[in-house]
Amino acid sequence: MERQNVQRLPAEQLFQEEIDTLIANEQYPVPTGWKMSPKSVLTYICGGKSGGMEITPKYIGHKRLVEIAISTLVTDRALLLIGEPGTAKSWLSEHLTAAINGNSTRVIQGTAGTTEEQIRYSWNYAMLIAEGPSKRAMIPSPIYRAMEEGAVARVEEISRCASEVQDALISILSEKRISVPELGIEVPAKKGFSVIATANTRDKGVNEMSAALKRRFNIVILPAPESLEAEMEIVKTRTAQLAGSLDLNAKLPEAEVVEKVCTIFRELRRGVTLDGKQKLKPTSGVLSTAEAISLLANSMALAGSFGNGVITPEDLAAGLQGAIVKEDEKDGKSWEEYLENIMKKRGSKWLPLYEQCKELNR
Amino acid sequence: MGPHVFGIRHLSPAGAWYLREFLDQVNPALVLIEGPSDFTELIGELGGKDIKPPIAVMAYTQSLPIRTILYPFACYSPEYQAILWARDHGCLCRFCDLPSDVFLGMEEKREERERQEETESQEETEDEAETGIYEQLDKASEDQDQETFWERTIEHGADFYAYQRGAGEFGRSLRALTFTGNEKPKRQLFKDAQNLVREAYMKRVIKEAVEEGIPMEKIAVVTGAFHVEGILDMGTILSDKEKAALPRLETKKTLMPYSYYRLSERSGYGAGNHAPAYYEMLWRGFLSGQPDYGANRYLTGLAKFQRDHGNMVSSAEVIEALRLAYSLAELRGFKIPALRDLRDGAVTCMGHGHFSEIAMASADTEIGTAIGSLPQGVSQTSIQSDFYRELEELRLEKYKSLTAQDLSLDLREKLTVKSRKSAFLDLERSFFLHKLRVLGIRFATLSGNRQENATWAERWVLQWTPEAEIQIVEAVLKGDTVKQAAGFELKSRIDAGSSIADIASVVEEACYCGMPSSLSMAVSALQKSAVDAASVPELADTAMSLSVVIRYGDIRKLDREPLIPLLSQLFLRSCLILVQECVCDDQAAQRIGQAMNLLNDVVVNHEFLDEERWNRVLSEIASRDDLNTRLSGLAAAILLERGQMEKEELGREVERRLSRGIPAELGAGWFEGLSMKNHYALIARMTLWEKLSDYLDTLSQEEFKRALVFLRRAFADFSSEEKDRIAENLGEIWQVNPASVSEVLNGVVTLESEQAEEFINGLDDFDFDDI
Repeated sequence: MERQNVQRLPAEQLFQEEIDTLIANEQYPVPTGWKMSPKSVLTYICGGKSGGMEITPKYIGHKRLVEIAISTLVTDRALLLIGEPGTAKSWLSEHLTAAINGNSTRVIQGTAGTTEEQIRYSWNYAMLIAEGPSKRAMIPSPIYRAMEEGAVARVEEISRCASEVQDALISILSEKRISVPELGIEVPAKKGFSVIATANTRDKGVNEMSAALKRRFNIVILPAPESLEAEMEIVKTRTAQLAGSLDLNAKLPEAEVVEKVCTIFRELRRGVTLDGKQKLKPTSGVLSTAEAISLLANSMALAGSFGNGVITPEDLAAGLQGAIVKEDEKDGKSWEEYLENIMKKRGSKWLPLYEQCKELNR
Repeated sequence: MGPHVFGIRHLSPAGAWYLREFLDQVNPALVLIEGPSDFTELIGELGGKDIKPPIAVMAYTQSLPIRTILYPFACYSPEYQAILWARDHGCLCRFCDLPSDVFLGMEEKREERERQEETESQEETEDEAETGIYEQLDKASEDQDQETFWERTIEHGADFYAYQRGAGEFGRSLRALTFTGNEKPKRQLFKDAQNLVREAYMKRVIKEAVEEGIPMEKIAVVTGAFHVEGILDMGTILSDKEKAALPRLETKKTLMPYSYYRLSERSGYGAGNHAPAYYEMLWRGFLSGQPDYGANRYLTGLAKFQRDHGNMVSSAEVIEALRLAYSLAELRGFKIPALRDLRDGAVTCMGHGHFSEIAMASADTEIGTAIGSLPQGVSQTSIQSDFYRELEELRLEKYKSLTAQDLSLDLREKLTVKSRKSAFLDLERSFFLHKLRVLGIRFATLSGNRQENATWAERWVLQWTPEAEIQIVEAVLKGDTVKQAAGFELKSRIDAGSSIADIASVVEEACYCGMPSSLSMAVSALQKSAVDAASVPELADTAMSLSVVIRYGDIRKLDREPLIPLLSQLFLRSCLILVQECVCDDQAAQRIGQAMNLLNDVVVNHEFLDEERWNRVLSEIASRDDLNTRLSGLAAAILLERGQMEKEELGREVERRLSRGIPAELGAGWFEGLSMKNHYALIARMTLWEKLSDYLDTLSQEEFKRALVFLRRAFADFSSEEKDRIAENLGEIWQVNPASVSEVLNGVVTLESEQAEEFINGLDDFDFDDI
């Protein structure tokens, strides 16, 4: 397929050059089934230098968590990445497999409709009826293939799958083999086989994972961006990208506006002010970085379509009200407490925003 | 040629182990240990068989401000093991560093000079960020933590030579880095100079030992890795003249039991370490010859704690955690996992990714609860001397007798006396006695009912008992002085406090004890827990006690500024949730009613509170029909009292609340609420009585009987004089003689026996069910 025509390339193609450089300059022992050493995987994900080439960081902050994730896969344990929406779980899992196997496409996308066959194997029914059960008629799942090849498979949004589907994973992860009774064979996993699953903590309507399944994973929780600066950086770049593709006709938000939004989101998310001195009531919403981005894009759309193209406190207040106060009445009160106890006391820079927010939250 | 020098890191198990090996090799006649040389006299006691570490040697000044210098020893301290080795091998053992009085004297001089410079230049010197060598090491190390760096590279070193060379290299580089570079902060320059003086002094002690007749090659020096190079050269030695010129402050020394908890609280090099219990495991690993003992013991200890506290941890999880820890260490290129790897492994495999799940277990396993002990009769503890010094200072010695004596204190400033000290003597006494009370030292008991809100007078009963002495000695585990111990006690109460009321009580205690730092700590803790506190009565109680502190706290000379935003916050929160909480039964309404009165008191007394918001909330409660009617009535009464309700509005409310169709008990309940506040404000409002009269006219016989029960209850609190006034009012409306109405109202109901029986029978028919 032509590269240009694809909306989004898989990681291993996008960063082909970096992966090749890392492999070429390998200095440490490479585990069986891996393409590079754990140290090189770490360099690939967190950035660094290899053979004179600058490796771009794919995941910013929390290097220790990446170390734990990689070490987990070295011990051939399965890895479960848990986090709130927008904390780069899938992103990390894709890049881990891209670096370890050079292939991030052995993936099962978990939904409420995912069946057990998609975890194990299914059949080409036409052929099954014509020839009876045969290896040719069998359609192996990505996990099946990963076992055969000694590679890492990915399961996205595992908590969205029904619990019986999740259960199918339990025996695969502990026995490390799949049996196919129809053919009378059993496929053992080759060395290097592992699974990276991702799960969402805050979404409603997901299936709680069983303790038995959880025990088979090493769990790494991905937190929201570590510092205000890191989050602002992410928000700024992503807003600029989004605005470019959406033709919003508004100026990009000023650093001050981004800072305000990120500050409010971070404080409400963590339930404490940035300086750590004052505790406050968090709201029920997730308030992820992704939401901050869409809030700003939304404010830009308001400013572009109905204003003079510059985000005013009024546009911002409308966005904040919508993002923070969900249907829950309690959110309104928490927001009011935040406005009165914290924002009001922040001085003149915050005053216009405070007044607009107060007006809207009545 | 110099003596044998072994460089160590304080509180390092590997150092302690290899040091013993080193001493075995050298077989010295004299062991010199880095530590104040005047502590040498305590070495006999330190090495005693009855002593159980952790213990500490402390020197402290006799005069104010009290300065202390503390040398803690755990069983894995190289210094402690050196003392034990010397004891077992019958060789001499001495401390060889500057004496403690010089250390503290230098400290005093340094502060004096800093103060001078500050007044001269008026520049901020305090604000200089601590960019010491160890902070730089933190940043430079791969783990962002120099302790982990040390543990990985040297603590888990392969053998004796690895340790000696590693520690030597570490010390050399540290030394080179410390002594180079310019534009250092003043403090660092002072430290550099101090280090050189210390080394010159240590060399002097070595020289003296040689002069005494001990050959140089029979002397072993145990010192921080940093000093090794400085001592080996045997260069500059402190001369007699220089020694005499050193500043001194008179000190006393004491041995005291120490705890792992306090050891872990003092972070940073030398004075403590973060995970004493874990380091003890490493020490046991050396003793048993298993290098992986620490890792195994740590994770199994963690698992055991979790199981003991009702959390499932399987052996498989422990094994996985261990594997992960090894794999993490390998990623860094090491064979044995460091504490950080172990903890991360445990979080991932036992804690399901959440540190909070194993936080308690990790505190227990890393820090532990070990407390050292000393045999009876070993020197007086610092807190005892502090206690006696305070007694003398506050002229309380005569109360230290076995008979109980009264002591009345007047906390106000005495204007008749000259010195500031005697003007506030009683206040200082009160602070001191309150601290003892907080610490549970039963020497003084607060007696008599302290008049509420009049906080300038206190009555105490003082009585000395031998138990009090023991209680004081026990308090040494909390701090070196009475003040420190009280501060520690208050802090642990804050940490343990679950409800906002618990913490509010700490705020009060901190005020009584006159401890601003504890006060601000309690205030910020209160701020944190106030966010979660849900119920209005609790908030109101807390707001009230804060309000009292703000109003009357100046007698105790405390800065009450930080309480103001907190009170505003509590008040705002109460306002936000009050309306919802008014949906409740009558029993709960009682409590909320009290809370509303308290909050009203608070608003009246503090101008900085948002009065308008309070009025809005009250108006909403007063006007809504779906809340507890009693509380609606009360809200109306408060508004009335505050002059926020117009005559017409009151009339409208009365009419609506008491109109036909509203069940009688609801109407009467509302009236009951209305009369819960200021009676005179009600009596004076004629409209109210007119409407009440109209209401009664509309009731049928049955309804009247019902309403009567409630109305009777509502008027039960009124005094007979008030009832007279009501009678006058009603008399005026009904145009009858007030006196006769009053007579009926206040008269005792006397019934003839026949009549009474008939009446009681009649009551039987009355339906009380739904009242």
